[in-house]
Amino acid sequence: MLKSLLKFFPSNVSRIITVILVAASTAIAGCATAPNPNDAEAVAEYQEINDPAEPTMRAIFAFNQALDKAIVKPTALTYRNVTSEKFRAKTHNFLNNLRSPVIFFNDVLQGELERAVTTLIRFLVNSTVGVLGFNDVAADLGLEFHDEDFGQTLAVWNMPEGPYLMLPVLGPSNPRDAVGRVVDFIIDPLNIWATNNSHDWVLPTHTALKVIDFRALHYDTIEDLEKSSLDFYAAIRSLYRQRRMDKINNGQSNPSKSVPSIGEFLEDDPDPIYSEKISQAN
Amino acid sequence: MIFSNNTARPDSFKEDATLFIEQMVSQAASELTKKNISRNRRVESFKAYFNNHFAVEGIGKWILGRYWQKASEKERDEYLALFEQMMVFLLVDKFSSYTGEPLHIKRSVIQDDNNVTIFSYLQQKNEKPAIRVDWRVARSSEVMKVVDVIIEGTSISNTLRSDFSSTIRSQGYSISGLLEVLREKNSKLRQQPTN
Repeated sequence: MLKSLLKFFPSNVSRIITVILVAASTAIAGCATAPNPNDAEAVAEYQEINDPAEPTMRAIFAFNQALDKAIVKPTALTYRNVTSEKFRAKTHNFLNNLRSPVIFFNDVLQGELERAVTTLIRFLVNSTVGVLGFNDVAADLGLEFHDEDFGQTLAVWNMPEGPYLMLPVLGPSNPRDAVGRVVDFIIDPLNIWATNNSHDWVLPTHTALKVIDFRALHYDTIEDLEKSSLDFYAAIRSLYRQRRMDKINNGQSNPSKSVPSIGEFLEDDPDPIYSEKISQAN
Repeated sequence: MIFSNNTARPDSFKEDATLFIEQMVSQAASELTKKNISRNRRVESFKAYFNNHFAVEGIGKWILGRYWQKASEKERDEYLALFEQMMVFLLVDKFSSYTGEPLHIKRSVIQDDNNVTIFSYLQQKNEKPAIRVDWRVARSSEVMKVVDVIIEGTSISNTLRSDFSSTIRSQGYSISGLLEVLREKNSKLRQQPTN
């Protein structure tokens, strides 16, 4: 079956596919080593990390990084070099405006009616006065942009995030956010319109623009993180979770919950109560 | 040094911590951005500034979490020195290129007698959106220091803790393995100044 499928591809492509399939099947066989069940601290740590298929996820991460270095990063760098900051800001506004229907839908599903109204007015003002969304006129009127997605909606509905996932090409995620991505894609009027009218160029163009916009916008942050971390994979996992938590709480999370207290900073040894605070914080 | 609950004056603590952050930022602009000084001198003056305002040792210990208790006296000393060095190398050039973008403090929330969080926005140039920065400030009876910086909802201390503990695990739960990785990291950072 596999051989007959591969016949359709040129030889170098089929070789690459074979390598990926072999690598994937080897990786899937590897699960994170479970800690000694008698070591309560190690068990707590393992549960907190919540990344049971870590070796597989690391393999996918390595693949994503290779893809980034070969294609995405150089493209984002070129984009940064040939365009002005103003141009990139306007493109970013345009993409944000295109997302408005999805944001509106999720505002409503989360019962955030005030935010839904903000999104709606922003969309109407920016699409017209703001010339197809290239100018964020609404922000000047005090209606700032906010993002929402179905992954966040599921979190607001108390669905647990599940284990950490590194999706091929798409990057860090979890089952809740992966489902969210699919739902957001299905309900996006832009996708519905493009599919119904056979505008085949729309989806790939939109996706490519979003990827380059994101990578260029966070270029320095990603560089800094790679430079500063000892384990880039673990640093990204931690940042992704914190960032999602912050977004779910609309940037209003209680700091005592999200950030551990380091009150005993001048004492020689951490206070035992302090470790409890840490586990609560996570 | 031990915290004394008797010194807790929540109201003035908020104001004191706010003033502390404001002074820290203005001091960074006036003292760390001087041109025409050697990188070594820059590193030295940043190191002093960093230790005056941040609980470097406390953060370092907290990041190690449960592994701190397992480390020997010698490993602890070397770890704290390497951690401080890494942070100084990572931050010195960031701070020296600070061009005085204003920090607007919005509010502060008392966590407990000795911890307060200051919520602020760092304005950016070229109409880029402001960056949300929260400062966790802790105090003992005499000193006040930053114990965490939370940028757009992501805590630096938390991220470092995940990063370091993952490194320890991948080194077969060995502190000496972490020290080796840190030594290597620092020698790379020393060679290539961050920009």
